[in-house]
Amino acid sequence: MSTLPPPMPNAVNERLAALLAQAGLGNRAAFADLYEATKSKLFAVSLRIVRERHIAEEVLQDSFVNIWNNATKYAVAQSAPMTWMTAIVRNRSLDIVRRPFAEVQDEDDFFASNMEDGRPGPDDQLATRRDQVKIEHCMKGLDGEQQQTISLAFFQGLSHSEVASHLGKPLGTVKTHIRRGLLKLKGCLES
Amino acid sequence: MKLGNPELRSRLASEYALGTLRGGARRRFEDYLKRDVALRADVERWEMYLSPLAERLAPVDPHARVWKKIEARLVGASDAAVASEKAGLWESLYFWRSFGLGASGLAVALLATMLTLKPVEQSPILTAVLAEDNNVARVFVEQSKPGLLMVKMVTPWKTMNGMALELWVVPKDGAPRSLGLINDTGETRLVFTGMDEKLSGGLVFALSKEPPGGSPTGQPTGSVMCKGAIAHMPSKLPRSPI
Repeated sequence: MSTLPPPMPNAVNERLAALLAQAGLGNRAAFADLYEATKSKLFAVSLRIVRERHIAEEVLQDSFVNIWNNATKYAVAQSAPMTWMTAIVRNRSLDIVRRPFAEVQDEDDFFASNMEDGRPGPDDQLATRRDQVKIEHCMKGLDGEQQQTISLAFFQGLSHSEVASHLGKPLGTVKTHIRRGLLKLKGCLES
Repeated sequence: MKLGNPELRSRLASEYALGTLRGGARRRFEDYLKRDVALRADVERWEMYLSPLAERLAPVDPHARVWKKIEARLVGASDAAVASEKAGLWESLYFWRSFGLGASGLAVALLATMLTLKPVEQSPILTAVLAEDNNVARVFVEQSKPGLLMVKMVTPWKTMNGMALELWVVPKDGAPRSLGLINDTGETRLVFTGMDEKLSGGLVFALSKEPPGGSPTGQPTGSVMCKGAIAHMPSKLPRSPI
């Protein structure tokens, strides 16, 4: 008789969730481990939005103090630890960013030179990779302008008008691309 | 006040998560978020959808000074000297910083009170005094035999506002394990099989504030109300004459 294999445990998420729970109880050693495990990814997220290392360092500091203070409020069931922490870092970055338009990098150029290769890292990141594969698949289903506008907004933290200015397109057109793109993305991710 | 229009709610939630909602609109939306659980859930769903995109980015190591600055901000200046003293892994716990000689004396006094209040049938296996960060002892926990924990509310909170109290055992590594809900006054007897397995390796008891019925996630979700290190009693304690 055959039995179904147990669902694959997401070792990385479980470890991060455990570290967060420990941090919530005031365990600074666990909090240091949490920082070590996530700092480079989160720093990259902030650096792409604020563009300057010293500002991204401030964002990372503020974010981790915030994570420490709110670790007890983090609820495992509501979101994956990396999602929760990425949102904190992105929100903090967006709060303090002051960027001249000229510094906006073209997304296509950026990803041609900086994009991560698709190989799994040394950690067990299978579940994270699965989520990544899914959204990348859904992004490919968008038309070019939708992909471009959503990428500019997500990675570089551009507002509607900044995206419009960067692409030399009317504001209304950009808003429509983003709105329709997001709806299509949602439909694909929920299917 | 809530945002009423469903189409608008959905659009603003997605734009907030994407990051295109900015300036005053962003701040106003954050005010709504504080009061609107359903709206928060919408945003969280969008964050869940979009955040795996960040995996595209090549990691960048921040400078080592960043962690030093974070650490410096975790404790107040007055705690810094105590926090820097090395006392093993758990030197970092709030507990050790706040739980000085006075509190230890209090623990002994409490234990003595407990021992005189009722006849000692058996030496306790373990005990703990759970205190707040300001040293106020709130709860006394004692295990006098396998499978049974007695939890005594020494100093009840004035009001729990309908929230429940959940007791956790925290191992050295790994997530806290729930031991169950605790009455907010008087004593609570916790009896269940597998208790000793749950307690094994436990270093600290902690009490968290949870929704009625307990944590919905299996992990502490509310604030930690008090905590205390577990003291294991020597097994060959001389029996007090009865």
